[in-house]
Amino acid sequence: MIQTGALVTDVALSGPFVRATFAVPAIASRLAAGRFVLADLGEYLRTPLFPAWLETASFDVLVPPHHPAAALHSGTTVDLIGPLGQGFEVPAAARRLLLVASTAHLPALLPLIQQKPGFSVALLLAASTAADLYPIRLLPPALEVHAVTADGSAGHRGAPLDLFPDLARWADCVCIADDPATYPALAELVREVRMEQGRRFAQALVAPPLACGVGACQGCAVEVARGTQLACTDGPVFDLLELR
Amino acid sequence: MTAVDLAPDHKTGLTLANPVMPAAGCFGFGTQYARLVEVEALGAVVVGPLTVRPRQGAEPPRTVPIPGGVLLHTGLANPGIAAAVRRYARTWARSPVPVIVHVAGTSPAEAASGCQRLWSVEAVAAIELGLPDTADPDEASAIVQAAHTVARQPLIVRLPLAWADALCEAAIEAGADALTVAAPPRGTAWHAPTGRFVTGRLYGPFVLPLALRALRRVAELVPVPLIGCGGIHSAEDARAFLHAGAAAIQVDGALWRDPAGLARIARDLSPTPSF
Repeated sequence: MIQTGALVTDVALSGPFVRATFAVPAIASRLAAGRFVLADLGEYLRTPLFPAWLETASFDVLVPPHHPAAALHSGTTVDLIGPLGQGFEVPAAARRLLLVASTAHLPALLPLIQQKPGFSVALLLAASTAADLYPIRLLPPALEVHAVTADGSAGHRGAPLDLFPDLARWADCVCIADDPATYPALAELVREVRMEQGRRFAQALVAPPLACGVGACQGCAVEVARGTQLACTDGPVFDLLELR
Repeated sequence: MTAVDLAPDHKTGLTLANPVMPAAGCFGFGTQYARLVEVEALGAVVVGPLTVRPRQGAEPPRTVPIPGGVLLHTGLANPGIAAAVRRYARTWARSPVPVIVHVAGTSPAEAASGCQRLWSVEAVAAIELGLPDTADPDEASAIVQAAHTVARQPLIVRLPLAWADALCEAAIEAGADALTVAAPPRGTAWHAPTGRFVTGRLYGPFVLPLALRALRRVAELVPVPLIGCGGIHSAEDARAFLHAGAAAIQVDGALWRDPAGLARIARDLSPTPSF
């Protein structure tokens, strides 16, 4: 990890998000899905930013319009610390990757769509209504999208849990970014539908507020089967079945 | 920059090349900031807090951002002194600056046991003993005396902010070589996502006037080296403490936002301008 300045090269609307591009080769080349940087955006604590798209010398983030990164302008320099944390680990043998996210949490999973050729990737994408759903036209055509809305205005009417069992049977790796309150139910379904879950078959992003980001302050505890771990150094991606 | 001795009456002394160090609870155990903080530019590092037995720490949530700062409640999460020594003593021995270990002095027995376990660790240049926020002068005296009796290294006592002036004389009489003024104050915040109140330590620039007031008061009462701590975010902030009577300063929450800033503060303090 390093602390360095990153040049903001582009800021533009992208669906319900604002896309900001950071040119910072020393960090971008070592970022990955689920890893993060801490950005000095003027708040007392640095703001964690998860890449939504990765290039060798830059990365994009997608943030809501009210997020402090959405107020950045092209040409400004932002002080970053990173890359930090342990990201998603897709096994080399995996060929069928299932992504599970609500629209608000989707950006952190998007770099997984950049996986090498030969992967089949399905996305279980949830929102309360069609207007809140991430525009599917902005996603790669090869991605198999299963949309779920609570009111049925787009895709399946109901909850992601309705479609999750069949997709979990199909997948050989599941990566999840959602409200952690949904994780126990997803873990229960994984146990039900998979006889052999395997280590890290299902991985979930847990991102509590971070103070230091390097394991010094002990402030980002996450309870797992083996005790307490830190989101910043042990995570923020954890085995779904180990989360408590 | 002028060197400072924080323990002039102790047989080993505690000489720092400059007066800047990170505060306990902010820097980790010595390895976490190795790539981000220019340690050789500092006067010392303070690692811990450590307790005699390992502690899992508080249940989440531990961190609650508040306007202009943050509330942190870790519950003293640490591997315990023995494990910390096994894991980190070699790192401490390689440190280019003195390593001060913060021991949570929750009781006289805990303080004595903690200091005893660090007695033979050559890499530990001094012990900073944290007092309970609820300690009265008698309790503070008992804890410090228990630590002083067994400690080989110089003993710095970190005082609770609210009671710094009430406890400082007892701490010195019981054997403290220097005082840190002060531990971060405690507060309570509402954590909406879990619907719970969280009580913990407060970090932010708003702590500075409180800590500065406490330090000035303590400086009037006791003639030992003082370490100013609380809300320091710049060399200007640090100078305010030095002018108030501090011999050295500790940077707390500002370290998290700008790790590189710690060395910058040390450089900016040299040479110390006069007001």
